[in-house]
Amino acid sequence: MNDQPDLNALMARLGDGDRSAFGAVFRLLWPPTLRLCLSMLKNDADANDAAQQGMEKVFSRASDYDPSRPALPWALAISAWECRTILRRRSRRRETPEEFADEPMTGAAEDELLRRNLTRAAVEAMGQLSDADKETLIATFWDETAGASGATFRKRRERALQRLRDAFKRMYGIA
Amino acid sequence: MESPELKESERRARRAYEAARLRRAVVAFAPILLLVTATALVGHRFGYTLAFGSALFALGVTLLWYGRSAKQAVLPGVAAGLVPLLFALCARQMNHACGGDRCMIFCVPACLAGGVVAGIVVGSIGVRTRRGFGFWLAASGVCLLTGAMGCACVGLPGVIGLALGYMLTTVPALIAARHAVWPETKGIDP
Repeated sequence: MNDQPDLNALMARLGDGDRSAFGAVFRLLWPPTLRLCLSMLKNDADANDAAQQGMEKVFSRASDYDPSRPALPWALAISAWECRTILRRRSRRRETPEEFADEPMTGAAEDELLRRNLTRAAVEAMGQLSDADKETLIATFWDETAGASGATFRKRRERALQRLRDAFKRMYGIA
Repeated sequence: MESPELKESERRARRAYEAARLRRAVVAFAPILLLVTATALVGHRFGYTLAFGSALFALGVTLLWYGRSAKQAVLPGVAAGLVPLLFALCARQMNHACGGDRCMIFCVPACLAGGVVAGIVVGSIGVRTRRGFGFWLAASGVCLLTGAMGCACVGLPGVIGLALGYMLTTVPALIAARHAVWPETKGIDP
């Protein structure tokens, strides 16, 4: 995570129009973006597509980057949004996953379906949160402190999680 | 070694970055088109005003797209350029025996005076904020093109008057800035 301050400075330079920072920012952002997409989509091809689209979104919004905030959670929040879009598209394409449609459910298949549905529901609920909350939760996922001190970050995380629970409860009636 | 797919991803991200910057630059500088239209309607030389206005729009969009200190020169340049533009348009509307291109009563002196004031504005910003040569160049380009839209109604003498007035105050400020600021940034005592 020593790259983090460099990434912030490089992203600020890129946002200001310094093209010499482009390659370095791309190389620093690509691996965590791809990991995030893989963890959310569980499919290499979809993850690559989402990471690609996420990177395009991140770089097209580079001029909006606020240098007072950490760059990695900001970029990952944008990429997570792309993954969520792909997940929604996927769920619209097949409301019931076809791999389970023709065969009787085994215990493992049921668990897998349940896990997928839960992931999808959590991602939907996360879409209801503010960008700052999303960044905090993604930073928690990646074990980042988002540039804030430990106590501040813990407080932020607690609030973001509470809001995620509230959103989940509002949408699905359970928490 | 980077894979061809990763190279392609980087190329696509770069294209998205440049396209987004260009889009933002066009949107940010679009209001200047209103100024160009208004000046063309109020002034008497539609063709010249449109030519200077188009050049101003192209330059402004390029500077905003490029970014860095060039981007920061656009607003001061336009603000300073509004002075000679308004001076020239007001002089033209004043009740006097205007001789067109040779109007030395109000029009050409107004352009000269506008250029002097614009030069003071750009010079003071450049010296106070300790900007580099790129800023001076960009701000001067934007300022002169903005002012020229108004001074074009007097023809070439108006534009020359604007440029002379501008140089009269900018050149000393530039020399002062060079001696006071740039050696300091290079680590040389002024």
